[in-house]
Amino acid sequence: MERPIAYDKLAREDRFVRKRAREIGEMRIEQGLPPMADLASRESIRERVHGILVGELQAMEGAGRTVCDFPDAPWEFTLDMARQVWDESRHVEVYLGLIDHLGGYVGEFPESTILWRCACAEDAAARVAGVNRGLEGLACDVFNQLVHIARKIGDPIIERAVDFVLADEITHVRMGSKWLNELTKGDPERRRRAIEFQETIDERFNLGGVRLDGDHEEVAISIAKEARRLAGFTDEEIERLIRSTQRSPVY
Amino acid sequence: MSAHPLAGDFSVEASAQRVRHYRYAEERLMRTLGGWIALTPELPVKLLFGRHVWDCAQHADLWGRRLPELRSPAQQSEPANERFVRFMDLLDAREGRGESPQRVVGVYRVLKPHLVATYERHLAAANPLYEPPTRRILERCIAEERRHVAAGAAVLERLLRDDDSRARAATWERRLYEALAEAGGVTGESPTPPLAVDVAGVDPADDLVALDSVFDAGVIATDLRAEVDAHARALVEDDLPALAGQIAESARVTVLATYEDLGPAGRCDVVAQARVGAHRFVGARRSAPSPRRSVPEGARRQPR
Repeated sequence: MERPIAYDKLAREDRFVRKRAREIGEMRIEQGLPPMADLASRESIRERVHGILVGELQAMEGAGRTVCDFPDAPWEFTLDMARQVWDESRHVEVYLGLIDHLGGYVGEFPESTILWRCACAEDAAARVAGVNRGLEGLACDVFNQLVHIARKIGDPIIERAVDFVLADEITHVRMGSKWLNELTKGDPERRRRAIEFQETIDERFNLGGVRLDGDHEEVAISIAKEARRLAGFTDEEIERLIRSTQRSPVY
Repeated sequence: MSAHPLAGDFSVEASAQRVRHYRYAEERLMRTLGGWIALTPELPVKLLFGRHVWDCAQHADLWGRRLPELRSPAQQSEPANERFVRFMDLLDAREGRGESPQRVVGVYRVLKPHLVATYERHLAAANPLYEPPTRRILERCIAEERRHVAAGAAVLERLLRDDDSRARAATWERRLYEALAEAGGVTGESPTPPLAVDVAGVDPADDLVALDSVFDAGVIATDLRAEVDAHARALVEDDLPALAGQIAESARVTVLATYEDLGPAGRCDVVAQARVGAHRFVGARRSAPSPRRSVPEGARRQPR
């Protein structure tokens, strides 16, 4: 099997429409909409949930490629990645159920593949730094917010289901923290490159500048500091992330 | 073999060697399934592979952890012979778009049924007094692999919808089985490798997700649907004046040139609708010669 595969080989059923993230954002702004669904209505929650669904799909695909692409990596690393594939496949099932619960359908909103592209880094350490710590860390922020909104609007189905997915994501970030250290042990240059990759992801995925430090009621998406600490982020890393959100308006 | 309760078919060394062969198959399959997920468009197949990557990983891990108990280094895989490696290479190489049926056939009609049958034979022969650790792993792997085979059968039934695809699948299955037989199966000892395909009584429900989930064109608003249908009809009838009238002026030349290049369509089905605010993107699939295309950018419906 080809290793790694080109970005554009990501396969989808016909019912998925693919668009660039930037293009979607611009189309929304042209229509006077916020660049990302703001969770202010049931419909915008559905749009966010659909975005998470395709994110989970890409996370499953990315973790699967990591299992495939690095046959010489430590066995325990592969085992963790295989477990993550299973977790992500269950998350897809959860979000399929939530889309149904919200009256939506698969393919209702376009898919961008920016997450998948990040999962195609050629170095295993960069992948776990970028995907497990960067993107799954972002997922912690987004899911934490969704749980809060679900609680606020009195939707126990979303609240309970997403909270369990959040628990899994914290585990994935923790795996990323562990394997970033293990895989780069004795190789500071590799570690530096991996962390740099993660930081570019933290900056790029700033959710239209709405992910910020603050209480759920004060900011659109609150950085889930407690979840991140549970997942192995240091206070210094969390502070750096907060600083980065203050200067990056992308997506 | 003697009927004595302490008689056994396998020495410690032979048992360890078998375990390494099993681990090779499970580990290799885990990597293959993991790699295929991104390359497989059909959601139920993608999710089936996603489910089974972890099960294969656990099987490989269980076998790998058994090895030190058999005086061998932990977590080592060893193919029975080079021919088994070639069999796995052959199975693994179906990575093209449109090859999902071949992937499912290879794994769920050949390799996994063979693993089930081999594990069952081993279980029947393994001594219950001094080989319970191996027997427990075999029992778990048999139960899970049988469930996988049953799930694969359910998915395959939906993938193979016509005689052509069934014939192609059967040809591929025969070719793979021949390669497996050349290898002597996973252990290298079976010129006619056994297959356990009978999964009666096995419930694969937990492994099946979105099995019958398809796009429902009913989600398209009535007025837009009428326009989309008219466009599809004009495409099938190759009615260029009608097509020209339906395409936004700014994109007309480009889109018509594309349609001309493609030639007339045998049929045109609406297969997707996504939205961004008030914009709609409708996906259509032509029966020939191009498999699928979204309505080009400039031709999209303007906000209402």
